[in-house]
Amino acid sequence: MKPEPLVPPVKVRDIAKPTPALSPLDLQKIVPLPPPYDQIDPQTLWKELTAERRQEIDASLDGVSALSLKRPEDPQEEERLLKGFVEGLRKLLSVENNWTFLQPLQLTLDHCTHCQTCADACPIFVMSGRNEIYRPTYRADVLRRLVARYGNGGNPIKSALTGPIELNWETLARLAELSYRCTLCRRCAQACPIGVDNGLVTHELRKLFSQELGIAATECHANGSMLQLRVGSSTGMTPAVVRDNIEFIDEEMSEKVGFTVKTPFDKVGADVLLLHNAGEILAWPENPGAFAVILEAAGISWTMSSDLVAYDAINYGLWYDDVQFARVALEHIKVAKKLKVKKIVIGECGHAHKALTVIADRLLLGEDNIPRESALTFLEGIVNSGVLKLDPSRNDFPVTLHDPCNIVRAMGIVEPQRRILRRIAPRFREMTPHGVENYCCGGGSGFAIMSPNNFANWRMLVSGRIKMQQILEAFKDELDPAIPKYLCTPCSNCKGQFRDLLRAYGAWERSRILYGGLVELVVNAMADVPPGFLEWEFH
Amino acid sequence: MLASGHVVVLQEGPMTVATIGCVVLLAGFVLGSLYKAVRYVRMPMHVRWELYPVAHEKGKVSYGGSYFEELDWWTKPRETSLVGEVKTIAEEVFTLKAVREHNPKLWLPSLLFHYGLYLLFLLGAALLLGGVADGLGVVGLGWLGGGKVLSLWGVVALGLATLGCCLLLLRRLGDPTLRNASSPADFLHLWWLLAVFALSWANWLVVDREYTVAAGFVKGLLRLQVGGSVPALFVAQVLLLGAFLAYLPWSHMTHMFAKYFTWHSVRWDDAPNIAGEAYREKALKLLMLPVSWSAPHIKGDGKKTWLDVVQERGES
Ligand code: SF4
Ligand code: SF4
Repeated sequence: MKPEPLVPPVKVRDIAKPTPALSPLDLQKIVPLPPPYDQIDPQTLWKELTAERRQEIDASLDGVSALSLKRPEDPQEEERLLKGFVEGLRKLLSVENNWTFLQPLQLTLDHCTHCQTCADACPIFVMSGRNEIYRPTYRADVLRRLVARYGNGGNPIKSALTGPIELNWETLARLAELSYRCTLCRRCAQACPIGVDNGLVTHELRKLFSQELGIAATECHANGSMLQLRVGSSTGMTPAVVRDNIEFIDEEMSEKVGFTVKTPFDKVGADVLLLHNAGEILAWPENPGAFAVILEAAGISWTMSSDLVAYDAINYGLWYDDVQFARVALEHIKVAKKLKVKKIVIGECGHAHKALTVIADRLLLGEDNIPRESALTFLEGIVNSGVLKLDPSRNDFPVTLHDPCNIVRAMGIVEPQRRILRRIAPRFREMTPHGVENYCCGGGSGFAIMSPNNFANWRMLVSGRIKMQQILEAFKDELDPAIPKYLCTPCSNCKGQFRDLLRAYGAWERSRILYGGLVELVVNAMADVPPGFLEWEFH
Repeated sequence: MLASGHVVVLQEGPMTVATIGCVVLLAGFVLGSLYKAVRYVRMPMHVRWELYPVAHEKGKVSYGGSYFEELDWWTKPRETSLVGEVKTIAEEVFTLKAVREHNPKLWLPSLLFHYGLYLLFLLGAALLLGGVADGLGVVGLGWLGGGKVLSLWGVVALGLATLGCCLLLLRRLGDPTLRNASSPADFLHLWWLLAVFALSWANWLVVDREYTVAAGFVKGLLRLQVGGSVPALFVAQVLLLGAFLAYLPWSHMTHMFAKYFTWHSVRWDDAPNIAGEAYREKALKLLMLPVSWSAPHIKGDGKKTWLDVVQERGES
């Protein structure tokens, strides 16, 4: 695609300009989808905020609001926020408050040459029609300039060399919003010849806002990690409700597969503690159900936990707050220790994979460092053991695979899921690009659970659009709705995004594209299970 | 004194200024670089933040796989290969792979520029080695094949660097989006280098086609020889280049060294904390650091430690 500069191009320093919208989404420039989806007018997927709503909240970045920020009521309040932000900058660059990410952050702040090699790797920037504010370097440069001018008392020479910037309410509010226009997919970091990581900048900005000013997406914080720590799960499910739901799922599964499926809870000394994203239990019960079927059939010694927090693998702190992250990770480990399991297996949830296996790793000392394994690797072990009789002809329909960023680009788990698919899905085909070069589903970093104001519309039109393009390309010769197709997506968060995305583009009605996990396909191929485990119903 | 026998069009400048200036500026470069490197080295252990492909993963790097693909990975020996890292870095340094793949328009200018700089660096190193060798009474610059070879080397190196620099500057100025996304420092660096190259050309053309003045100067520098004189043009070149080098550690141009950290210590740092012991001491020390983040769910007061706050539940 030809670069088409905006006229006049939005400059980094413009972030402080008191205009109604710094750089609104231009629907004319949204990159078209392949036919027949090119007929869908972006306008039909878009929702303009009403004038009334725009009075209530700040949508002055791009006409979208993820955070529903309210303007400060008086100059004192504004002053307090701005001072807090400057304090936050100091803390972000201090060993005491940010040892967790200080070295990678400082390296990133110090070394960008503005070569723009990362720009085209960013699906949000590209699919928006190259809106300057979504350029991976834009938010990083705002931060660089703010650090140079205000960080630790400011440095006039550094500031002059970095470029002008003003800190006012507009800058603060827009930068907070801008930290929720990036899915942390880190494709840009992969492309950078120097190793600068603009995804990390987003992460660190979110942390500054959350940890210093208490500004975070409600879905991630108040209704996310805070709820999980208080009630046990961000779904609001209490232990009793989880047990009830799982019992119900077990009954359903037993009926479908023709043998008794019973999920063990709190079994001390089990080999495996299985952690599910609790959202699966409510939204896609067939996924924990299929896990239970496979583990039962394979004779694995396993358990789930009914302890608060531990029946929900999610750890939203990964996306925005180190303290919340550590609080949840420690609860997960505490329960695994209590149950004396040999290993924790993390179900089909990408961010939970990365949170507990990678990010928490160096914080888990001594006996807290219980081995953690991906469900995909674990599943491949079961499949390879030959304990399940698999009949690939049961999956004789087109299948493609989505690579969740957190499992693939951030953990290098690329092949196990493919080796399973090659074995059980004869019509499996890859998306382009795939593996570690995949595109995010567009719901990464919490977006899939966020739909305030018109944010869901933005998710469909911008952050998820490239994935939609990829899915259609993967199935391009078989888009006919008479052919059922399966988008295999072994991540709960991605599934949430796909539910919204496929629905928004009418892909189920138009092309009969269903999405679901990997375990469902495995059970669908099990010769000992009556055919038709997969129900071709969109939900 | 002019060694090349060309028509002298410039006044001679004092060697003292060049020598002292050069020593001070080079010291600035060395100290600045050390300061920056030590600063990164002394930063505390960070949490893992690797990004695949990780170049040292043996047998899996071609598709970006990791040891997490192995069942019960913690029970298996970790197979890493330094060759993988060296190969990836070498590919990046010598072919600018990432730019070629993701930013083709910038690739050729960037490649010319970088090769020019590599050759100029080697020329500087050769002059230095020649100076040392001569100082030791071993052999002069003769081992390099004489002035003609050096002259050709210089012209190729300068040619590539100047062409690359001009093309980069033209792209930055001519492409409105690239221009818009540039910082004042990005332009400063290119203009400054261009000025250094211009002076170098002038020296080469007028004063020192076979680098004999430069070689003599380096020899004098190594002996901290003050007094005497060299052409003013040469002094100007030395001072402008020295100033650039002294400034370099404070700029993003340290990316050539920073790659060790950004790639090796961040992007490829996938070393697992097996059995929770490997990082025990470091982590314990860091968890005892005071927290002062002020949000209601943390309320860090500068006294509570990380260990304290992560065990609390916090207010909404
Ligand atoms: S982040 Fe890397 S690729 Fe992007 S502009 Fe900066 S140096 Fe270039
Ligand atoms: S992390 Fe992903 S979404 Fe964010 S700027 Fe980089 S490429 Fe774009």
